Amino acid sequence: MMSVSSNSTDKRLNPIDVTNLSDEDQQINTWMRLVAEQQDKAAFAQLFKWFTPKIKAHGMKRFRQEAQALELVQETMLLVWRKAALFNPDKGKATTWVYTVMRNHCFDMLRKMQSQKEDTMSDDLWPMLECDHSSGEQHDHLMSRELLSHIESLPQQQKLVVEAIYIKEMTQQELATHLGVPLGTVKSRLRLAMSKLKSKLEASHD
Amino acid sequence: MIKHHPSNEILLLHTKGELPLSLSLAVSAHIELCPECQKIQQALTEQESDAAWTVPCKHSSGSNSVDAAVETLTADSSSFNEDLSDMLSSIMEQAPEEVLFEATAPTSTKVAGKNYNLPRAFRQFDQLKWSGIGAVSRARIVSEADDVRGSLLHIDQDASIPQHSHKGYELTLLLDGTFEDENGKYERGDFIWLEGDHQHSPYTKEGCLCYAVQNAPLHFVSGVSKVLNPLGKMLY
Repeated sequence: MMSVSSNSTDKRLNPIDVTNLSDEDQQINTWMRLVAEQQDKAAFAQLFKWFTPKIKAHGMKRFRQEAQALELVQETMLLVWRKAALFNPDKGKATTWVYTVMRNHCFDMLRKMQSQKEDTMSDDLWPMLECDHSSGEQHDHLMSRELLSHIESLPQQQKLVVEAIYIKEMTQQELATHLGVPLGTVKSRLRLAMSKLKSKLEASHD
Repeated sequence: MIKHHPSNEILLLHTKGELPLSLSLAVSAHIELCPECQKIQQALTEQESDAAWTVPCKHSSGSNSVDAAVETLTADSSSFNEDLSDMLSSIMEQAPEEVLFEATAPTSTKVAGKNYNLPRAFRQFDQLKWSGIGAVSRARIVSEADDVRGSLLHIDQDASIPQHSHKGYELTLLLDGTFEDENGKYERGDFIWLEGDHQHSPYTKEGCLCYAVQNAPLHFVSGVSKVLNPLGKMLY
């Protein structure tokens, strides 16, 4: 069924640098983030337009039948829509994530066609919740997403202080100078903001 | 320290989703144990993804591929186009999935009086039926077309499998314990691929648990174990 070389230990490939993205990849990442964070329909429509013809082409290659190729399009894009929150931009490109979603569904479809097996094995073979030894990381990534949305909902002045200090990592003094307000004002805005964030987090974890 | 890895070719087929389930289970379980192959898989996934998304689209004369994609969509017959916009709106009517963090306990199996945790890839195989002869116990995981079979094998301590050859290939992934054969000693995570022309007689001092995939029955070559040949398919 296939020719396979013997065990090899030569590893020639290096992981690809994900920090250096093309404009197109960045655009797709942005759409993906909008879908993940806000279920943004316009962004999803853009993703749909970009991916659909390509998924269909891939499906035609694998299944040689239009009906199945379209099923692959439908199921892949549905999973992208429903599972978008699992996409972690720190771990790679959105295009790669969509590829794995498509590859997984394709595997299960082929298995179903070839052996009449209805099981879905793909998520165990290539886990979507990629935990590689640190299930905490995945949690952190969703945790920071949740935090960001809470920060977003703070009053403008408090939001600015939190972002400057925790995200841009300015010191309180730098920020006070930058805003032209007394240091005490920065401190009290920060205190207010933090107590609001705390209660928001407590509320959402009850 | 893992010394035996899947070839890049096997890793590539696995990444593309083109291996039979029995073999992909082994590659996935190996990758879970092997950070080196994890990295390679990641790089291969990027590579395959980039290749999949750069398929030449019809009418790809547009300035960028987003335009080209839209063009391809709109260039198709209007009924197809309508189908797609129906598909798009029906998808967006669905609610996004709640993200759950299940602290999934590893699947375990009990054989020869001992409990073993199985790799994540075997999560759905929690109702294994063990059977065996002598020191060897077997639980079938998957039977596929072309006589490809994947099984868990448990071998008791200080036991060996009689010398045998393989008519096809035999893949052994060592999940627990150690074993050795004419070629050396193997440890947890080793992914050992043997082609049909090979003869070997594995021996384990401390006992071991393996996942093995074969595409033909073992062929025993020595002594009374030849009696097992007609039974080989049943056994392993």
